Amino acid sequence: MLHGFVPNFGEAENLLDLKEARTVSRKIESSRRAFLTNTGALLTSEVVNRWASGRQESVGQTAPRKQGKPRVIDCHAHAGISREPGAKEEHSAPWDTAADPEIILEHAREAGIDKTIIFPINNTTYKEANEEISQICQRYPERFAGFARHDARTECGKIRSMLIHEIHDLGLRGLKLHTQPNTEILDAAKELGIPILYDSNQHVELFEEFLSSYPTINFIIPHMGSDQSENWREHLLAIDLAKRYPNVHLDTAAVVLTEYLEKAIKELPAEQILFASDEPEIDCRLEIFKIRVLNLPKEKEELILGGNITRLLGGRV
Amino acid sequence: MKPLVIDSEAQIGVGETWGSPPRWLDYNVETLLGRSAEAGIDRSCVMAPRNPLYDLPNKQVAKVCEKYSGRLIGFAVHNPQLESGHLRQLLLAEVKSLGLKGVRSDGHPSRELLDAAAELNIPVIYYPDLEEYPGPARAYYMIATAYPSVNFILPHLGAYRSWQWWAHYEAIDLVKRFPNVYVGTSSVISRKYLEMAARELPPERILFGSFAPELDPRVEIFSLKLLKLPKPSEALVLGGNIQRLLGQ
Repeated sequence: MLHGFVPNFGEAENLLDLKEARTVSRKIESSRRAFLTNTGALLTSEVVNRWASGRQESVGQTAPRKQGKPRVIDCHAHAGISREPGAKEEHSAPWDTAADPEIILEHAREAGIDKTIIFPINNTTYKEANEEISQICQRYPERFAGFARHDARTECGKIRSMLIHEIHDLGLRGLKLHTQPNTEILDAAKELGIPILYDSNQHVELFEEFLSSYPTINFIIPHMGSDQSENWREHLLAIDLAKRYPNVHLDTAAVVLTEYLEKAIKELPAEQILFASDEPEIDCRLEIFKIRVLNLPKEKEELILGGNITRLLGGRV
Repeated sequence: MKPLVIDSEAQIGVGETWGSPPRWLDYNVETLLGRSAEAGIDRSCVMAPRNPLYDLPNKQVAKVCEKYSGRLIGFAVHNPQLESGHLRQLLLAEVKSLGLKGVRSDGHPSRELLDAAAELNIPVIYYPDLEEYPGPARAYYMIATAYPSVNFILPHLGAYRSWQWWAHYEAIDLVKRFPNVYVGTSSVISRKYLEMAARELPPERILFGSFAPELDPRVEIFSLKLLKLPKPSEALVLGGNIQRLLGQ
């Protein structure tokens, strides 16, 4: 079927400019740089190594820093199993069935990635899945850090207490969402000082509902707004959102139409772009090549490849 | 002598993107040549992006290919439904007079298009609309059976951007089943299916394609290099196979 023609690229950008003119906050704009230099996370808890086996190191231990060499950190990967493989549509794709951390480790070693942030694949509720992430991080404390995942629809009312436990006791560092966050989630993230990586499933506009109310939470929009570049318009909306809100960051996982990656890097402060892969379904060796092939200035590349996520996590990664 | 690297699927000219939602773009030949050279690509098979009718776009492709004859190999594109009744005549002229070497079918290929392709002995690139067909199997079984002398190239290992993961399985199955079906490699972001294809299929049946300039040929060729194929197999995938299909 031949689709109707759409306005060209330039016209699409103009539409966004008009939208921006209506909503841009000059106050936020003027403080962008100041905000970006601050770290958002204030994790102060002791980590309880409750699930670690005897040979494993504690969750809180981080990799020894190589002097002078900036670390490369992939901020988006999945690990663990689905509790209901194939039971529902959202549990029936390969990436919703099982995500093997060993594959991530193998690819990351080859790609020169020092550490990978992992979170659960699709489940109905996330108590067990988050515990599993914590266990994997304990097994490989130098290679993995974990984010919790929650679902506002199925876990409503319990999320704050679960999240406090997961951050303070299990050593997880942030929150991954696939459903629109409610005030319970947002207030808890604010209280804990953790970033939220929220996949709004090709609906970047949903961020507008809460961004202005939570300027101190660092948000990460995965896939630059559109997984596997399914809808290029979402890439443009995500770039526009990051221009207007300094606490919005874009992750680069699985962007197929790399011209939008180049556009984001050209138009946004490097501080708002985070390298990511979506391992093990998407190969981090190829995803990091998409950044490296751009031959960015060294400082800019270092921020994108690891400096920014380190800052968002308060250096505790 | 160093084997040639030939991109089996790139685009030049003005038109709509094949991917949805569509964009109206001008695929600049200089951009394509620049990035392809950077990627180490010696020659590119180029065709028009999506258009309502293809008589004029094909002529423009032929003209650009004449200008860059050492770098570009031209393919025609036709819509078997909208151009029905004229296809044989158009294709004969485009291949015999304008020097185009293959055809991309914009829509399910008709008997008219396939008869002409068989007569001219040219390969047919066809990517089934996955909104119409849930995977390429249904779209391909009949045509691959009915036209055993036509070589078909199924781009994107059956699923543009790997969006329909099961389509990759179907593409691999099609190649195993039909000796006249080949797969192109562009945009396969779930690389495990590319690895599966490289593991399970003869290297003679896999064609490097970049889908440039919509996709970056440097990235697409790097994805193939990650397969770490034995040198003779890599040479076939990167150029030897499409050379053979084009009788070069």
